[in-house]
Amino acid sequence: MLTERYLQIFVALADEQHFGDAARVIGITQPPLSQGLRRLEALVGAKLFERGPGQVELTPAGKALLPHARRALNAIDEFHHAASAQDPEGVEIRLGLAPEVPASVGAAVAAACSAAVRGSRVSVISAPTSSLVQQVSAGRLGLAAVLHPAVLDGLEAGPVTLMSTWALVPTALYPDDGAALPLGKLQGLPIAVRPRAEAPAARDLFLDTLALHRPGGGTVIVTDERAGLAMAAAGQAIVVTPDPSLAAAGVGRHPLIDDPLPVRLRLVWPQSRTPNALPAEVMAQLSQALETP
Amino acid sequence: MNARIRAVFDDAGARGWLHAISLDRPEDSVELDADVVVPIASVYKLPLLAGFCRLVDTGELDPCEQLTLSPESRIPGPTGLSILADPVTMSLRDLAVTMMTVSDNASADALLNKVGPDRLAELLQSFGLEHTRVRRGAAGNLVELVRRTGASDPDAAFAVLADNDQTDPAGVYDAANLSAGSARDMTLLLREVWGGGLLSEGQTAFVRRSMEQQVFTQRIAAGFPHDGVRIAGKTGTFGALRHEVAVVTLPGGDAYAVAVFTHAARGDRRLPRVDAAIGEAARLAVDHLR
Repeated sequence: MLTERYLQIFVALADEQHFGDAARVIGITQPPLSQGLRRLEALVGAKLFERGPGQVELTPAGKALLPHARRALNAIDEFHHAASAQDPEGVEIRLGLAPEVPASVGAAVAAACSAAVRGSRVSVISAPTSSLVQQVSAGRLGLAAVLHPAVLDGLEAGPVTLMSTWALVPTALYPDDGAALPLGKLQGLPIAVRPRAEAPAARDLFLDTLALHRPGGGTVIVTDERAGLAMAAAGQAIVVTPDPSLAAAGVGRHPLIDDPLPVRLRLVWPQSRTPNALPAEVMAQLSQALETP
Repeated sequence: MNARIRAVFDDAGARGWLHAISLDRPEDSVELDADVVVPIASVYKLPLLAGFCRLVDTGELDPCEQLTLSPESRIPGPTGLSILADPVTMSLRDLAVTMMTVSDNASADALLNKVGPDRLAELLQSFGLEHTRVRRGAAGNLVELVRRTGASDPDAAFAVLADNDQTDPAGVYDAANLSAGSARDMTLLLREVWGGGLLSEGQTAFVRRSMEQQVFTQRIAAGFPHDGVRIAGKTGTFGALRHEVAVVTLPGGDAYAVAVFTHAARGDRRLPRVDAAIGEAARLAVDHLR
């Protein structure tokens, strides 16, 4: 039976001309990709690609069928969109939140979604900025709060919201007196940062700013703020966070003088011609919720 | 290949567009959204040069004609005549060299006035560049930028673009408002010039030489750190846009036309990672075509 996945494999291989690249584009590994192609070719009764060393090329049969495969995939996408619009339980708003969005701010945006569209069902996922941007582009998410700056090709975006950050510093390093500190004084321990690939532009801006104010102070990669806070409690790292609620015993909270490392957030959503797109005035309302949660 | 090139741009925090061809086998290509029309910033100086050289070939312009540019009539810019204090008298062809080697805005505007935007549009059409539009020179662009940012002068306007804490004003990077083109158009132009079909032998050599003498090496040239590889390029930079189009000639003589356009997520004036990504993407594309 012809499946959506076979068509995805066909189109991705034609675009990438490389098994590994095509597998990455679809988000599967190479063995199922090869197997899917073999099955599709058996189904079609013709070879679609010539396999060369490290590279593949469309056969005449593949070239002839490719436009049909693209059209079929587009039609399936449209079907998915139309199907979700017919959902009798009301509009579903799928919201994505970057992990840097403080819990209370994410909650405020989700609540605003629910308030803005009567009878809507709101579902929320957390994922890194780069993944959220892709999912919004692909129409799998209706909107997302992501880090700025990020590459937003063809997406709509609200204003940039700046959130002040605090330094969470082990009391062993600095007394828990709540005093505002200059970033340059945060020496002696590395600052916890999340992996760069999650949001390369925003992370580089953070790291470049850090390097300007605090040369040689060092950083340590953590998977999330929970890990960062635990490392701070263990006296191993300093955490920079916009989240007013993040706290642990043995860790003091200090404002940073001149707020050199604000977290920049932005709502992104698909262009209005996309099926199921929320109206522009709703997006303005939601951007407001991000600004003043 | 596309996924690998895309990953290079993703990692640098930029959106990228690319087209690369082998000059000997133009049917071999690497493409990443190569037909999307993008604001080309100072890369417009290359089609302008090609148009100027054609008018020299047809005898409509005299390359040795002397032009005096006074400081008050020259527009601001980071290089070339734009930063000098006194009147400068130069020939049209020397203005062209200044425009290409250091991307001098004052020289480019003077040449564009000589060629004329309408005459240039007709020439580009006749060259087969269907998506390339040279709307106005740098002076017009600066006026437009100042208007859109609501700033008081060009420096303040560029500061708005460079600020990561605010949203870009609407339309500042809109291809419809600026000189624009596609990556495929640019490699077509390079291929036609290098092939000798567009210009006389003398003017062909002039274009090639002025592009080989370009002083900026942090983009495509940085992807080929070997003196044996010759790069003839023209960069373009405007706010978050960073571009270069070039012909890369390998030691054996094999040559490739590459056009790389980028739009960085960050606004900062200096983004060495994006410059390097342009070189890396060009390198990946050329290696694929070899």
